[in-house]
Amino acid sequence: METSQNIIELNDVSVSFDGKIALSSLSLLIKKGERIALIGPSGAGKSTLLNVLSLSNVSGTGNIMIDGQPPSFYRNRKVRAKKIGVIRQQFDLVNALPVIHNVLAGKLADWSLFRSVLSLVIPQEKIMAEQALSRVGLGHKILEQTGSLSGGEQQRVALARLLVQQPEIILADEPVASLDPARAEDVLGILTKLVQEENQTLITSLHSVDYAKKYFTRVIGLREGGMVFDLPVDQLTDRHLKELYKLRETSE
Amino acid sequence: MKQSLRFQQKNLLTIILVLVFLWSLHVIDWKEPLLHPGGGATFLQIIEAIIHPDLSPEILLLALNSAWLTITYAVAGMTIAIVIAVVFGVLASGVLQSSQKPFSSLSKSFFRAILGFLRAIHELVWALLFVAAFGLTPYSAILAIAIPYGGILGRIFADMLSDVNNEPIQSLQSTGASRWQLLFYGYFPLVKANMISYTMYRFECAVRSSAVMSFVGLGGLGYQIQLSLDDLNYEEVWTFVLFLMAIVIVIDGWSSQWRSRLAKRSSRFSLLSFFISFALVVGSWMYLYVVEHASLFTLFTDENGQYAKKFFLSLLGVGEESPAFFSAQSWLPILQLTYDTLMMSIMAIGIATIVMLITVVPAARNVANGKLTMSRSPFHWVSFLLIRSSYILSRAVPELIWAMMIIFIFQPGILPGAVALALHNFGILGKLCAEVIEDLDERPIRHLSSSGASHAQILLYGVLPSVLPKFLSFILYRWEVIMRTTIVVGFVGAGGLGQQFKLSMSYFHYSDITLIIFCYLLLVWLADFLSELSRKIAK
Repeated sequence: METSQNIIELNDVSVSFDGKIALSSLSLLIKKGERIALIGPSGAGKSTLLNVLSLSNVSGTGNIMIDGQPPSFYRNRKVRAKKIGVIRQQFDLVNALPVIHNVLAGKLADWSLFRSVLSLVIPQEKIMAEQALSRVGLGHKILEQTGSLSGGEQQRVALARLLVQQPEIILADEPVASLDPARAEDVLGILTKLVQEENQTLITSLHSVDYAKKYFTRVIGLREGGMVFDLPVDQLTDRHLKELYKLRETSE
Repeated sequence: MKQSLRFQQKNLLTIILVLVFLWSLHVIDWKEPLLHPGGGATFLQIIEAIIHPDLSPEILLLALNSAWLTITYAVAGMTIAIVIAVVFGVLASGVLQSSQKPFSSLSKSFFRAILGFLRAIHELVWALLFVAAFGLTPYSAILAIAIPYGGILGRIFADMLSDVNNEPIQSLQSTGASRWQLLFYGYFPLVKANMISYTMYRFECAVRSSAVMSFVGLGGLGYQIQLSLDDLNYEEVWTFVLFLMAIVIVIDGWSSQWRSRLAKRSSRFSLLSFFISFALVVGSWMYLYVVEHASLFTLFTDENGQYAKKFFLSLLGVGEESPAFFSAQSWLPILQLTYDTLMMSIMAIGIATIVMLITVVPAARNVANGKLTMSRSPFHWVSFLLIRSSYILSRAVPELIWAMMIIFIFQPGILPGAVALALHNFGILGKLCAEVIEDLDERPIRHLSSSGASHAQILLYGVLPSVLPKFLSFILYRWEVIMRTTIVVGFVGAGGLGQQFKLSMSYFHYSDITLIIFCYLLLVWLADFLSELSRKIAK
């Protein structure tokens, strides 16, 4: 009964690269609509966890179920794109394309090759792109070269693409790492607002504890591939954070 | 220890290269007279004619007409080359292949090998073969340009596509895009600017090649130059050469403007350039079709098919009692010529390098304006302009046309070939190397200068160490190109394999041709291999 509500289930997942453990027997249940922040020092395994969840080729052991289905169910790229969307740092966009095509790239899974090539000449479903862009506050930049936008604007274009793609789960790997504090708050504010409006599930890795507290419902602390805590955001205390970030002098 | 060994490695390589050059000089019999009797006088006549080229209206009109023909062939050839390059470049880059490892890397190397073969043979050799197979149709010239240029462009396109920044591609993949969609939404937009810029550079080269095509009897500027040379009318020769230079300079200026705008993304000029290119392509093909009555489809008639079949069969030695490549008697002289050709290429790059080294320092803009050496004088600007114009003249005139003039002056042999190749290449080398000096970091040199170093000391301690590795890699790269071109200068009698190629062609000794092409390909591959090896050592 309870399992049917979990959109993501990880059971005893371990991953290692070249003999170094990146994730050690992690188990995790995530409900639909949750907004989760992954925090922890560098190398804690945050990106590895997101890669596991995005079902990109990560070799490891353990069980993963996404919306009640095993990873093999999502081998078809179209099925996967409807379920999982990814946003990373701002280098995700094709700078040489106008903004509109970067946004409409979210539709590629639905379009035939002919239609996607035609769209580069005569944009298809232009209204959808316009709506998505105005929801992130960039309606006026639809025809600009993506490369000429600022870092924060580029990240909002990437958000507009996710709006067009409409996945049920959004995985964000350090989405604001290369932005200044004002832009970062701006992007995180839009991201979490849109996720709530669309009733999506969001899992984000972050460096800043303040952002995690401000925008998310649940915080998971990772350290050296293992889970240090997994708490609703209102139960998070300074003691937990101290434990998470303290320098371990005994190890090496 | 390891460091000092690496340091020595570079010096050792330089010494070896110098020795190889000296060895190549040894091939020439210096005791025999090198010039024709009266060669010196001819030389003076040719030089004197530069000052007053023939500018009569009918010659100018003829030049304009031939220039258009030359451009038309170049544009048509490039159109086909781009199609070849995009198709094979994409296949050779591996971006479309599924990730099944053994199959994808196998198909990648297969298409890379095809591109390698296409670019190994010089366009003029293709032209001669096509004229022999199809006759004197414009398509012999157009296909002859299309094949090697398709190979070169395709290789570069493939490299660009496989070096693309991976992050945007991964991100597109996560939106569920297929491999073909990735190509149009990711790969192509990411490399577009570089592709256009390199294609424009190659177009400039194609115009020169097209001018040379006329040598096999197809119209155009080269044909007129040849006719005027035959009449010993040097004034006319220079008129046509000046036209060729003008075209090359205009295209050079246009493409460098376009390239800089592509980087800055101000799109009006790019849009205009795009339309001009489009108009050129349409105009050229229309002209070929309407005025020259040459449709691509007329090429594939039964009659032509028969000719071509017969020609290619005789290349393979079918119907011949003892094809050349099976008899030791024909191997020996050809191997001797192969060796001579190799020496010719080494001598050519050696001479070009010496001339470049003498002229390159005053040819750098930052030397001319005194920024680098901290000394200013109007004399610097005069020498800068003089040397730079000689560079432009040098590279605007194709090797073959230099060779046509040189054989009026020198006795036949490999020396005129080497001199012609050197004449064309010192300008290219000079331009490339002067740009290296211009890009030099000025701070260490200012520091040397402020600590009281003399000009010679600055050159020795500040300039040479940082520019020499780049010079060396340009020199080796040009040597590869020269190797491919040796056969061409031979066509007009400047020695080596090319001369024999032309003779065998005239005597219809087709299986000799196959043997010569085989040895030529060996040389080209040897040059590519050695130059790659030396560049690795120099790194």
